[in-house]
Amino acid sequence: MADINSPDSEPTTRTLLRRVLDTATPRRPRSASARRTLYEKVPSRNLRSQTKTPVRQCTHEARPVGKLARVQASGHLEEQTPRTLLKNILLSAPESATLMPESMVKPVPAPQVVQPSRRESSRGSLELRLPELEPSTTLAPGVLAPGKRKQRLRLSMFQQEVDQGLPPSQEPPGTADASSVTSSLNLTFATPLQPQSVRRPGLSRRPLTRRAVDVGAFMQDLHNSSLALAPSGPGEPAQFLAGKAEEVDVELSGGEVGEEAEDRMEEEGLHVSKVKEAAGGQELARTGEPEGHTQVSEAEASQRATEAEEPEESSMDEDVAGRAASPEVARSTPRFLQAKQVHQFLKPAPPSGVAASSSEALELLSARISSRHQTVGPRPQRDPYKAGLSHYAKLFSFYAKMPMEKKAFEMVEKCLDKYFQYLCDDLEVFATHAGRKTVKPEDLQLLMRRQGLVTDQVSLHVLVERHLPLEYRQLLIPCAFSGNSVFPAQ
Amino acid sequence: MALSTIVSQRKQITRKAPRGFLKRIFKRQKPHLRLDPTADLLVHLNCLLFVHRLAEEARINACENKCRILNKDHVLAAAKVILKKSRG
Repeated sequence: MADINSPDSEPTTRTLLRRVLDTATPRRPRSASARRTLYEKVPSRNLRSQTKTPVRQCTHEARPVGKLARVQASGHLEEQTPRTLLKNILLSAPESATLMPESMVKPVPAPQVVQPSRRESSRGSLELRLPELEPSTTLAPGVLAPGKRKQRLRLSMFQQEVDQGLPPSQEPPGTADASSVTSSLNLTFATPLQPQSVRRPGLSRRPLTRRAVDVGAFMQDLHNSSLALAPSGPGEPAQFLAGKAEEVDVELSGGEVGEEAEDRMEEEGLHVSKVKEAAGGQELARTGEPEGHTQVSEAEASQRATEAEEPEESSMDEDVAGRAASPEVARSTPRFLQAKQVHQFLKPAPPSGVAASSSEALELLSARISSRHQTVGPRPQRDPYKAGLSHYAKLFSFYAKMPMEKKAFEMVEKCLDKYFQYLCDDLEVFATHAGRKTVKPEDLQLLMRRQGLVTDQVSLHVLVERHLPLEYRQLLIPCAFSGNSVFPAQ
Repeated sequence: MALSTIVSQRKQITRKAPRGFLKRIFKRQKPHLRLDPTADLLVHLNCLLFVHRLAEEARINACENKCRILNKDHVLAAAKVILKKSRG
């Protein structure tokens, strides 16, 4: 092996990796000569595969160190499987630096399969010397698991040596060397993270903190508070709820659990109870305090609430009358985000100390929600109607070519409303005058003539061409086609 | 026939007419009447021209008052004039 090693004595990751691959492939026992031939191929392969000249430079530089490393590496290579070799590579990744001391050499031997890709990525961070965990973590995490302990030991040593070795390493010719060194260094930094992540492969890394107990305690508190709620008005329950909400908020602020808690609350909230609305509003106020998560949770709850709104509306209306404190108050709070009563409760809520700050946030939320779902009746009139009107209001702002106030938009929508009424009346008059029950384009043409839009100078076709897109124009204006045909047919 | 093929090729219209919205309005106001599909587009054209005139008038009002932003007063005054014109 020594003779093989001398020709290309580079402990660079690439060369080492090459060697590993060559040695790894023949699992069956091979003669030394066979191995030698494999090794001989390595330098040629290296030259061919390596697109970067600096690598070659590195190889020349690393001769003294590489020899030792290679000897060890070869020993490793013969006995280990490709998997173990890769593992060693990953473990010893940082040690691929040319000027690393001998202690580093041992990790180096394992050729680094990943090196080529890693090096490129790590070159960028050469200057920073920051551990690039992501590229390394993605690579064969499972392989790293057993070697993590060794990794850490080496790391500490490595870091010291890196600090020492980097400045001198940069002197040697070519930034390639330094980059390779740093790349290896970067790899070392990256490695420590890998074992940690490898401990729990896949998604089981994150320990799930179940807050079921907290919710249970919360429920108990609710029960206790509900008993106290009955005699008192909505004010006191708010305080109770505030306390519980705070607990819930603490949980919610935990992050993921917030959603879980809400789910639980929602499940329990399926029972529509009278006091829910009152409690809901106050609870919302409480939840609003820890703003970030609670608002998110509220938003989620409100979303869910809006989804379930319609089936609940009828029941809610019934429940509005009675306001008995019930343990389900807290549970049903998410449901009642939509409830109009939230508004009412928000008003008494502010006086309660806890709700003061959060009530504003809640009011905004509830206002939004309530404005959207005030009643079932006006709803179809408002939402799509307003959407259609706003469509024309946008056109208004476009035609005006000037900045507009928000109130001006509302004014425009009112005018459009009136205009539509006039339009329908006129069209009805024209249609009945013609003895028809359908409004035809002729009626429209007459209307536009009466409005003064269509004159002797300006015909309807001109207006159509000016303002409508091509597709509509084709539908409206009769056009002659070949074969003596006209579309649309007159 | 030839036209229909052309229309079907390009389905994306940049400035679409809210035909469903207009039909719904008409139905709500005059349930005993029916609206032609072609008349639908002309109603949309009428709305466009109305809005156009309204915007022009409002812009003139704002310029007369030397305002850079359209106020609701400008719009209100413009609406009075234009609605009167649009009555037919």
